Amino acid sequence: MSLMLNHISFKPTEEYHLNDISLRFESGKMYTILGRTLSGKTTLLKTIAGLQTPDSGSINFDDTDFLSIPVWKRNVAMVYQQFINYPHLNVRDNIAFPLKQRKMDENLIESEVKEAMEKVGLIGFESRKIQELSGGQQQRVALARSLAKKAKILLLDEPLVNLDYKLREGLREEFKKLFNVSDESNSILIYASTDPLEAMQLNGNIIVIDEGKILQSGTAKDVFENPATAKVAEITNDPAMNINKCLIQDNSLIMNDSVQIQIPDQLKSIPNGKYLVGIRATDIYLDDQGFAFDVEISEISGSETFLHLRNNNLKCVATIEEVKTYNTNEVVKINFDKSKIYLFEESGELQHSPYQ
Amino acid sequence: MNFKHKYVFLLPGLIVLIGILIFPIIFTVRLSLSGWNSFNPGLDFIGLKNYIRLFTDDPRFWQSFFRLSFLAITTVFLQYIIGFALAHMVWKDIKFKRFFRVLFLIPMMTTPVIMTVIWRTFFHESLGPLNDFLSIFGLQPPWLSSPGLAKVSIIVVEVWQWTSFMFLLMLAGLLSLPKEPFLAAAVDGASPFKKFIYVTFPLMAPISIGAIIIRLIEASKIMDTVFVLTSGGPGTSTETSSFFIFIKGLREFQMGYAATASFTYLIIMIISLTVIVKVLTKVLMRE
Repeated sequence: MSLMLNHISFKPTEEYHLNDISLRFESGKMYTILGRTLSGKTTLLKTIAGLQTPDSGSINFDDTDFLSIPVWKRNVAMVYQQFINYPHLNVRDNIAFPLKQRKMDENLIESEVKEAMEKVGLIGFESRKIQELSGGQQQRVALARSLAKKAKILLLDEPLVNLDYKLREGLREEFKKLFNVSDESNSILIYASTDPLEAMQLNGNIIVIDEGKILQSGTAKDVFENPATAKVAEITNDPAMNINKCLIQDNSLIMNDSVQIQIPDQLKSIPNGKYLVGIRATDIYLDDQGFAFDVEISEISGSETFLHLRNNNLKCVATIEEVKTYNTNEVVKINFDKSKIYLFEESGELQHSPYQ
Repeated sequence: MNFKHKYVFLLPGLIVLIGILIFPIIFTVRLSLSGWNSFNPGLDFIGLKNYIRLFTDDPRFWQSFFRLSFLAITTVFLQYIIGFALAHMVWKDIKFKRFFRVLFLIPMMTTPVIMTVIWRTFFHESLGPLNDFLSIFGLQPPWLSSPGLAKVSIIVVEVWQWTSFMFLLMLAGLLSLPKEPFLAAAVDGASPFKKFIYVTFPLMAPISIGAIIIRLIEASKIMDTVFVLTSGGPGTSTETSSFFIFIKGLREFQMGYAATASFTYLIIMIISLTVIVKVLTKVLMRE
């Protein structure tokens, strides 16, 4: 079974929300749609669910024309970024709602609801009202409802984004378990996210989307190691990969007047010319013999420190593996791992990846 | 609170409250215990004689009361159904939405008494446009002079006049509903009809109860429509409680007895509306 999207476009205003999207989803697999806010993730999921009709293109699921089927007959489940539940029903009835629509046997509904509630850890909350639950619990209810439905297509639209850090980490772990369980049921799982870390952790197929266009799709490893364009490299890294203009000339790589390096061996075959150089924040380290940069902002995140650095027109972010406070305009000396340099054409296409 | 003059500041409000609410009620109770009529005006004391007469010897009051119950419940039920349907219609994105929203409100902006006069002309047996039209099919129904049809006429006028009020409340309610549950319901497999039954209707329950109660209170005072349209006739077949009290008090000047009927009516209304709220809450909110 597979879900096919053929040349889907949606242009409600002057701008494309979805621009000629063609994708193929296989059942039993998990897909992560990775993109920044307003990149078209939610619109894509809504189009698959049937809440939105594209202007052109077709969607086929198992040889049936999906677009001709109204939402309520599509056998799709969706969990939204906001915690969407039925405020007039208690937890049990919320989860039973899709099953009741299908006119299932009462005893069967009872057991299915119980199973779903066990999976998300809501046992004991059956008769609670939705308003009496915390945000995390509300999202668990929405998740249980989508699981109980046992839909062929399960859409998760940034389900963790509105939760606090602790809860997000906890639920993400549970998600991984849940998805492995659902794999057996042969459904298609599509998970939208803005967080590259989350996408990598879920370790499915990654589809990178920006401004309504698919930029790249492939396994998490492939997208991480060989980003198709500079834009993909920015989107799939957090902090975003540092992309800067550079010039390759006479065996040296010139970023600006003061930051110039001998060209590493693996880049020797690249012709002279203008390129974009990409360096991951994690590949930059402190080095007393390195280049001098000014600190613009420093932020501490967990056990790391993000340094926003500047050298004339050259800007970059470095991840320092220790917690240390830096003053603004303090001068630090840095260097970068020359074996991990990416090169992109000026138009953005990948020219060289260290993993090639 | 150690403030000696607080009652002075409360006094203006208190005087108004006593003057327009508490005094009339107490005076009505006192009046209902008197035999005040046109031959014998004055607050004499005749004990519970009026109440005994009302409860044992006046089927006309009770008939008018049950007639009122019938009219109130029928009209409010119809107003609710039609008002909700119209509100639901213009709630969705349809063409000329704004035009319809204003159109459905027009009856409420008109003066009930004047509109009833127009309706009376409309229903007139030999001169009215309605029978003029029906005569094409060979029909000449006596709209205002047959006991059954006169009730129908009153229901029609009441529904026409007040459906827009129900429409307004229901539309306000619909517009205040959260949009998210409807998205969820569609994905969860609810067809538009089921979405109405399982999501819209239950979410509207609290507003529905409020709207129905407001209209029931108003409808149980039906007076101007009856007065202008049929004057309670033919015979007493469209007479309601308030019209009966009006006849007794201001036509026959049996003030004491009218006060008795008024007070009894008030007590019955308070009790029955409380019961109705309870029942509606149970039925609509499933609690």
